[in-house]
Amino acid sequence: MAGPLAPTRAPETTVEERGDLDRPWVTIVWNDPVNLMTYVTFVLQELFGYDEPTATTLMLQVHHEGKAIVSSGPRERMEHDTSRLHAYGLWASYQRDS
Amino acid sequence: MKPFRARGGQLVARVDRAEAGVVGLLLDQLEQLLAADRADSSGDPVIDRLFPAGHRSDPALAEDYRGLTEQALRGGKADDLATVRATLPADGGDVRLDEDQAGAWLRTSNDLRLALGTRLDIGEDTEPPEEIADEGDHQLAVYYWLTALQGSLVDALVAGRAGRR
Repeated sequence: MAGPLAPTRAPETTVEERGDLDRPWVTIVWNDPVNLMTYVTFVLQELFGYDEPTATTLMLQVHHEGKAIVSSGPRERMEHDTSRLHAYGLWASYQRDS
Repeated sequence: MKPFRARGGQLVARVDRAEAGVVGLLLDQLEQLLAADRADSSGDPVIDRLFPAGHRSDPALAEDYRGLTEQALRGGKADDLATVRATLPADGGDVRLDEDQAGAWLRTSNDLRLALGTRLDIGEDTEPPEEIADEGDHQLAVYYWLTALQGSLVDALVAGRAGRR
Protein backbone atom coordinates (compact mmCIF):
# COMPACT_ATOMS: atom_id res chain seq x y z
CA MET A 1 0.00 0.00 0.00
CA ALA A 2 1.28 3.44 -0.93
CA GLY A 3 0.70 5.07 2.43
CA PRO A 4 3.28 7.07 4.36
CA LEU A 5 5.87 5.21 6.36
CA ALA A 6 5.58 5.07 10.10
CA PRO A 7 7.26 7.97 11.87
CA THR A 8 10.27 6.79 13.80
CA ARG A 9 11.13 8.10 17.23
CA ALA A 10 13.40 7.06 20.06
CA PRO A 11 11.49 5.90 23.12
CA GLU A 12 10.73 8.66 25.58
CA THR A 13 13.03 8.52 28.55
CA THR A 14 11.98 11.65 30.39
CA VAL A 15 9.47 11.12 33.12
CA GLU A 16 6.95 13.92 33.10
CA GLU A 17 3.84 14.31 35.16
CA ARG A 18 4.73 11.22 37.15
CA GLY A 19 1.24 10.84 38.52
CA ASP A 20 -0.16 10.58 34.98
CA LEU A 21 2.04 7.71 33.86
CA ASP A 22 -0.77 5.19 34.06
CA ARG A 23 -3.05 7.29 31.91
CA PRO A 24 -2.66 6.16 28.33
CA TRP A 25 -2.86 8.35 25.28
CA VAL A 26 -5.75 8.15 22.88
CA THR A 27 -6.36 8.79 19.19
CA ILE A 28 -9.56 10.66 18.41
CA VAL A 29 -11.44 10.97 15.12
CA TRP A 30 -13.47 14.18 14.81
CA ASN A 31 -16.61 14.70 12.75
CA ASP A 32 -16.30 16.60 9.49
CA PRO A 33 -18.84 17.27 6.76
CA VAL A 34 -16.85 15.86 3.84
CA ASN A 35 -15.78 12.32 4.72
CA LEU A 36 -18.38 9.73 3.71
CA MET A 37 -19.80 7.54 6.48
CA THR A 38 -19.05 4.40 4.45
CA TYR A 39 -15.49 5.63 3.90
CA VAL A 40 -14.87 6.30 7.60
CA THR A 41 -16.15 2.82 8.49
CA PHE A 42 -13.96 1.27 5.78
CA VAL A 43 -10.83 3.12 6.94
CA LEU A 44 -11.36 2.14 10.61
CA GLN A 45 -11.60 -1.51 9.55
CA GLU A 46 -8.61 -1.22 7.27
CA LEU A 47 -6.29 0.52 9.75
CA PHE A 48 -7.30 -1.00 13.06
CA GLY A 49 -8.71 -4.38 12.04
CA TYR A 50 -12.09 -3.66 13.63
CA ASP A 51 -14.94 -5.86 12.51
CA GLU A 52 -17.69 -4.15 10.57
CA PRO A 53 -20.16 -3.68 13.51
CA THR A 54 -17.43 -2.16 15.73
CA ALA A 55 -16.21 0.17 12.99
CA THR A 56 -19.80 1.22 12.24
CA THR A 57 -20.48 1.95 15.93
CA LEU A 58 -17.37 4.15 16.12
CA MET A 59 -18.26 5.93 12.87
CA LEU A 60 -21.79 6.66 14.16
CA GLN A 61 -20.31 7.97 17.43
CA VAL A 62 -18.14 10.37 15.40
CA HIS A 63 -21.15 11.41 13.36
CA HIS A 64 -23.60 11.94 16.22
CA GLU A 65 -21.35 12.98 19.11
CA GLY A 66 -18.70 14.80 17.11
CA LYS A 67 -15.81 12.53 18.02
CA ALA A 68 -14.79 9.02 19.04
CA ILE A 69 -11.71 7.40 20.55
CA VAL A 70 -10.48 4.89 17.98
CA SER A 71 -7.31 3.64 19.70
CA SER A 72 -5.39 4.01 22.95
CA GLY A 73 -1.88 3.23 24.15
CA PRO A 74 1.58 4.79 24.38
CA ARG A 75 2.08 8.27 22.93
CA GLU A 76 4.35 7.08 20.10
CA ARG A 77 1.75 4.63 18.89
CA MET A 78 -0.99 7.27 19.03
CA GLU A 79 1.16 9.61 16.93
CA HIS A 80 1.57 6.78 14.44
CA ASP A 81 -2.17 6.01 14.42
CA THR A 82 -2.96 9.71 13.93
CA SER A 83 -0.62 9.91 10.93
CA ARG A 84 -2.17 6.79 9.38
CA LEU A 85 -5.61 8.40 9.72
CA HIS A 86 -4.27 11.65 8.25
CA ALA A 87 -2.98 9.67 5.26
CA TYR A 88 -6.63 8.75 4.60
CA GLY A 89 -7.85 12.30 5.19
CA LEU A 90 -9.69 11.60 8.42
CA TRP A 91 -9.70 14.46 10.90
CA ALA A 92 -7.73 12.93 13.77
CA SER A 93 -5.61 13.99 16.72
CA TYR A 94 -4.04 12.37 19.78
CA GLN A 95 -4.00 13.44 23.41
CA ARG A 96 -3.60 12.09 26.90
CA ASP A 97 -6.72 10.29 28.01
CA SER A 98 -8.83 12.52 30.24
CA MET B 1 -19.51 8.00 -15.46
CA LYS B 2 -20.12 4.33 -14.81
CA PRO B 3 -19.50 3.82 -11.09
CA PHE B 4 -16.91 1.39 -9.74
CA ARG B 5 -17.79 -2.31 -9.64
CA ALA B 6 -15.75 -5.28 -8.44
CA ARG B 7 -15.12 -7.37 -11.53
CA GLY B 8 -12.78 -10.34 -11.80
CA GLY B 9 -10.58 -9.23 -8.92
CA GLN B 10 -10.36 -5.68 -10.26
CA LEU B 11 -12.25 -2.48 -9.55
CA VAL B 12 -13.61 -1.09 -12.79
CA ALA B 13 -15.32 2.21 -13.62
CA ARG B 14 -15.74 4.23 -16.79
CA VAL B 15 -15.25 7.97 -17.18
CA ASP B 16 -15.90 10.04 -20.27
CA ARG B 17 -13.41 12.40 -21.82
CA ALA B 18 -14.75 15.57 -20.17
CA GLU B 19 -14.78 13.90 -16.74
CA ALA B 20 -11.21 12.66 -17.18
CA GLY B 21 -10.21 16.20 -18.13
CA VAL B 22 -11.76 17.69 -14.99
CA VAL B 23 -10.08 15.09 -12.77
CA GLY B 24 -6.76 15.76 -14.53
CA LEU B 25 -7.02 19.48 -13.77
CA LEU B 26 -7.87 18.82 -10.14
CA LEU B 27 -4.86 16.49 -9.89
CA ASP B 28 -2.64 19.26 -11.29
CA GLN B 29 -3.92 21.70 -8.65
CA LEU B 30 -3.47 19.20 -5.82
CA GLU B 31 0.02 18.34 -7.04
CA GLN B 32 1.03 22.02 -7.00
CA LEU B 33 -0.39 22.43 -3.52
CA LEU B 34 1.51 19.37 -2.23
CA ALA B 35 4.75 20.54 -3.84
CA ALA B 36 4.54 24.11 -2.47
CA ASP B 37 6.79 25.13 0.41
CA ARG B 38 5.08 25.02 3.75
CA ALA B 39 5.98 28.70 4.22
CA ASP B 40 4.29 29.69 0.93
CA SER B 41 1.09 27.84 1.76
CA SER B 42 0.86 28.68 5.46
CA GLY B 43 -2.61 29.84 6.36
CA ASP B 44 -4.12 28.01 3.35
CA PRO B 45 -7.17 26.28 4.86
CA VAL B 46 -6.83 23.38 2.39
CA ILE B 47 -3.28 22.65 3.57
CA ASP B 48 -4.50 22.89 7.16
CA ARG B 49 -7.20 20.34 6.37
CA LEU B 50 -4.91 17.96 4.48
CA PHE B 51 -2.31 18.13 7.26
CA PRO B 52 -4.27 18.75 10.47
CA ALA B 53 -2.67 19.47 13.83
CA GLY B 54 -1.80 16.18 15.52
CA HIS B 55 -2.43 17.66 18.95
CA ARG B 56 -5.18 20.22 19.47
CA SER B 57 -4.20 22.04 22.65
CA ASP B 58 -0.42 21.73 22.88
CA PRO B 59 1.36 23.70 20.11
CA ALA B 60 4.74 22.14 20.98
CA LEU B 61 3.38 18.61 20.60
CA ALA B 62 1.60 19.62 17.40
CA GLU B 63 4.85 21.01 16.00
CA ASP B 64 6.68 17.86 17.10
CA TYR B 65 4.08 15.75 15.29
CA ARG B 66 4.32 17.87 12.15
CA GLY B 67 8.09 17.48 12.07
CA LEU B 68 7.80 13.72 12.45
CA THR B 69 5.04 13.04 9.96
CA GLU B 70 4.41 15.77 7.40
CA GLN B 71 7.15 14.87 4.95
CA ALA B 72 6.05 11.22 4.84
CA LEU B 73 2.39 12.26 4.53
CA ARG B 74 3.21 14.59 1.63
CA GLY B 75 5.23 11.83 -0.04
CA GLY B 76 2.40 9.32 0.38
CA LYS B 77 -0.13 11.74 -1.10
CA ALA B 78 2.17 12.50 -4.03
CA ASP B 79 2.66 8.76 -4.70
CA ASP B 80 -1.10 8.17 -4.58
CA LEU B 81 -1.67 11.07 -6.96
CA ALA B 82 0.87 9.65 -9.43
CA THR B 83 -0.93 6.29 -9.32
CA VAL B 84 -4.27 7.95 -10.06
CA ARG B 85 -2.77 9.90 -12.94
CA ALA B 86 -1.19 6.75 -14.40
CA THR B 87 -4.47 4.80 -14.26
CA LEU B 88 -6.78 7.59 -15.47
CA PRO B 89 -7.48 7.32 -19.21
CA ALA B 90 -6.85 10.90 -20.40
CA ASP B 91 -9.32 10.61 -23.29
CA GLY B 92 -11.93 8.79 -21.24
CA GLY B 93 -12.53 5.05 -20.98
CA ASP B 94 -12.23 2.28 -18.41
CA VAL B 95 -10.42 2.78 -15.12
CA ARG B 96 -9.12 -0.66 -14.04
CA LEU B 97 -7.55 -0.96 -10.62
CA ASP B 98 -5.96 -3.63 -8.48
CA GLU B 99 -6.45 -3.32 -4.74
CA ASP B 100 -3.35 -1.18 -4.10
CA GLN B 101 -4.28 1.20 -6.91
CA ALA B 102 -7.83 1.33 -5.50
CA GLY B 103 -6.35 2.45 -2.17
CA ALA B 104 -4.56 5.29 -3.95
CA TRP B 105 -7.79 6.31 -5.72
CA LEU B 106 -9.68 6.23 -2.40
CA ARG B 107 -7.17 8.52 -0.68
CA THR B 108 -6.63 10.89 -3.59
CA SER B 109 -10.34 11.25 -4.37
CA ASN B 110 -10.81 12.00 -0.68
CA ASP B 111 -8.05 14.64 -0.78
CA LEU B 112 -9.69 16.24 -3.83
CA ARG B 113 -13.04 16.27 -2.01
CA LEU B 114 -11.43 17.73 1.13
CA ALA B 115 -9.77 20.45 -0.97
CA LEU B 116 -12.95 21.33 -2.88
CA GLY B 117 -15.12 20.96 0.22
CA THR B 118 -12.88 23.34 2.17
CA ARG B 119 -12.78 25.93 -0.62
CA LEU B 120 -16.57 25.70 -1.09
CA ASP B 121 -17.22 25.70 2.66
CA ILE B 122 -19.26 22.49 2.45
CA GLY B 123 -21.36 21.83 5.56
CA GLU B 124 -23.64 19.04 6.77
CA ASP B 125 -26.59 20.77 5.08
CA THR B 126 -25.01 21.49 1.69
CA GLU B 127 -27.03 20.07 -1.21
CA PRO B 128 -26.06 19.33 -4.82
CA PRO B 129 -26.78 22.27 -7.17
CA GLU B 130 -30.14 22.16 -8.95
CA GLU B 131 -28.78 24.02 -11.94
CA ILE B 132 -25.37 25.17 -13.07
CA ALA B 133 -25.63 28.98 -13.16
CA ASP B 134 -22.09 29.98 -12.21
CA GLU B 135 -18.61 28.70 -11.47
CA GLY B 136 -19.57 27.94 -7.85
CA ASP B 137 -22.38 25.62 -9.02
CA HIS B 138 -19.96 23.95 -11.39
CA GLN B 139 -17.43 23.33 -8.60
CA LEU B 140 -20.18 21.99 -6.37
CA ALA B 141 -21.30 19.63 -9.14
CA VAL B 142 -17.71 18.39 -9.49
CA TYR B 143 -17.58 17.84 -5.72
CA TYR B 144 -20.71 15.68 -5.83
CA TRP B 145 -19.43 13.83 -8.90
CA LEU B 146 -16.28 12.95 -6.92
CA THR B 147 -18.46 11.94 -3.97
CA ALA B 148 -20.39 9.48 -6.17
CA LEU B 149 -17.17 8.12 -7.67
CA GLN B 150 -15.47 7.64 -4.29
CA GLY B 151 -18.65 6.21 -2.72
CA SER B 152 -18.93 3.61 -5.48
CA LEU B 153 -15.28 2.63 -4.96
CA VAL B 154 -15.82 2.14 -1.21
CA ASP B 155 -18.94 0.05 -1.89
CA ALA B 156 -17.16 -2.04 -4.54
CA LEU B 157 -14.21 -2.72 -2.21
CA VAL B 158 -16.54 -3.70 0.64
CA ALA B 159 -18.58 -5.95 -1.69
CA GLY B 160 -15.40 -7.52 -3.11
CA ARG B 161 -14.13 -8.35 0.37
CA ALA B 162 -17.47 -9.75 1.52
CA GLY B 163 -17.54 -11.95 -1.59
CA ARG B 164 -14.15 -13.46 -0.75
CA ARG B 165 -15.09 -14.45 2.80
